[in-house]
Amino acid sequence: MRNGQTDEIAKLVEPGRVHRRVYADPDVFELEMERIFGRAWLFVGHTSQVPNPGDYITTDLGRHPVIMCRHRDGSVQVLLNRCSHRGPKVLNERKGHAARFVCCYHGWSFDTDGRLVAVPVPEGCGEGFNKDALGLRRAARVGEYRGFVFASLAASGSSFEDHIGPMKGSIDDLVDRAPDGELALDVGMHRYIYNGNWKLQVENVLDSYHVPFGHASTVNKDGVQFARREGDQKGAAVIETKKQQTSSSWKDRKSYIVGNGHGWTSNTTLDDGKRSSAAFDEYKRVLSEKVGAARAAEVLTPRLHNSLIYPNMSIMGLNIHVRVIRPLAVDRTEVTIYPVRLLGAPESMNFGNIRLLNVTHSASSFVQTDDLESFIRAQKGLRSSLTDWVDISRGLGHEEPDRELNATRGLATHEMVVRAQYKAWLGYMREAA
Amino acid sequence: MNAASPAGTIDRAPFEYFLIHEATLLDARRFRDWMALFAEDGSYWVPAVPDQESPFNQASLFYDDRELMKTRIDRLEHPRIHVQTPPSRTAHLIGNIIVEQADAEKGEFIVGSTVIMVEYRDEAQRVFAGRQHHRLRRDGSGFRIVQKRVDLINCDSAFEAIAVPI
Repeated sequence: MRNGQTDEIAKLVEPGRVHRRVYADPDVFELEMERIFGRAWLFVGHTSQVPNPGDYITTDLGRHPVIMCRHRDGSVQVLLNRCSHRGPKVLNERKGHAARFVCCYHGWSFDTDGRLVAVPVPEGCGEGFNKDALGLRRAARVGEYRGFVFASLAASGSSFEDHIGPMKGSIDDLVDRAPDGELALDVGMHRYIYNGNWKLQVENVLDSYHVPFGHASTVNKDGVQFARREGDQKGAAVIETKKQQTSSSWKDRKSYIVGNGHGWTSNTTLDDGKRSSAAFDEYKRVLSEKVGAARAAEVLTPRLHNSLIYPNMSIMGLNIHVRVIRPLAVDRTEVTIYPVRLLGAPESMNFGNIRLLNVTHSASSFVQTDDLESFIRAQKGLRSSLTDWVDISRGLGHEEPDRELNATRGLATHEMVVRAQYKAWLGYMREAA
Repeated sequence: MNAASPAGTIDRAPFEYFLIHEATLLDARRFRDWMALFAEDGSYWVPAVPDQESPFNQASLFYDDRELMKTRIDRLEHPRIHVQTPPSRTAHLIGNIIVEQADAEKGEFIVGSTVIMVEYRDEAQRVFAGRQHHRLRRDGSGFRIVQKRVDLINCDSAFEAIAVPI
């Protein structure tokens, strides 16, 4: 595996199952860092996180520490956060503002577009010293859609448009909810970490099969989950109490795939006619005023539950947030959850969403914590080499084309989306860099 | 709240007793009794950044009013709460207690203390630590919590799942 022979990798994925090594083998992880996180389009951040020139955030793309910042000309830059001299990480706060990025070690300073501006004691530099060639390395390719910034660390590969195009609708679905047609990820973040492979979280975001059992502790005696959305009088019916069956609203939910590992699930049926609160009613009024009643009605008709922009980002439509998945090791993963502020929406509406996210998806939430426990236990079980295969066959052969949406459709309690993720995974992994 | 009131001269013992009692309830997993310490308008807040100004305009680790607290505790008592199977065992230590503000007329006090909570669960032990502030309202011979705020020293770090209140 060290050499990453294509044949050997291809043997890890079969039509309805994947080999446990995709989760548990450190060599597979090394190869993923190189072949997926080293070149796929990855979500970096949102332009609202760096509103002014000199504003920056720091994050990691796979193994590579990066800076996303705003340059004087208004452009958003994605730079390798590694001094071009002797290697130290240049910026070490998660966010901040600086006119110049100065390395702590020998004081080399870089402009907000990565250009090397000054080195102390320049007369000591070697003869061929060329400042122009010693800037902070730029991400090979950067793309943006409605403020969502993605980068690829490889100069070649599928274009931004080819990669993100089919998922623009999911971004629109979220951004269009803002009366001003714009959102901001500037209201803090939740960060959680777990001892499990990154794909356990990626697979989970579109998994509707686990909800009634995995989240049983969030469901009351009537089979109804607690209200998770500003203005809802109650949560979704998850379990039919009489027969102890999964409620039809969950069983009938659909999932969709569009290639590249991406996908989404259709909305949970909630009693939307009854959604009301002072904040939500005011929001509806403002939205209608801004975009017109007909468009507002469209926007307020929930279409999507969760979306996955493979491999590292998800948008959730119910407890609105943006989620970023960051692999740390084969069995360790960090996830960042950004609450969303809808520009133009009443403050109380945004505040309501922020508060609910505390109890749905923070490290101390009612929902996410049970998922984390499942990921940890999966990683423990998958250490065993006595059984090689992980079953992902639910609904195999029952996928159908959805011509209207230009997608492939299945039931959300099936595992079509996971199979689609492994198809994309194999696509990256088989191809030597 | 009158900052100039002679808080330093107030007998610390009843407050100390109250905080130790609260910690004991948490360690005993008597979450309903713990919730009963809060006033009807009470809240429990664990900010997600240092010096966080408000629980409303940005994310917090916890910001529970009585209703969310009840949902949280219903879940903690649910037989299928996977993240508490097995349950956490905790030991709280409360110290450095100071009555920072006192309004004897209104019967309201702000009590600062340092909290250390050691948690053991599923073969792993970890430590939470920080400064906490209780806004207390006199209620008969005891107090009710108007707000408990816990500022963890690592509040903005990435956490493994946190299932029990600190």
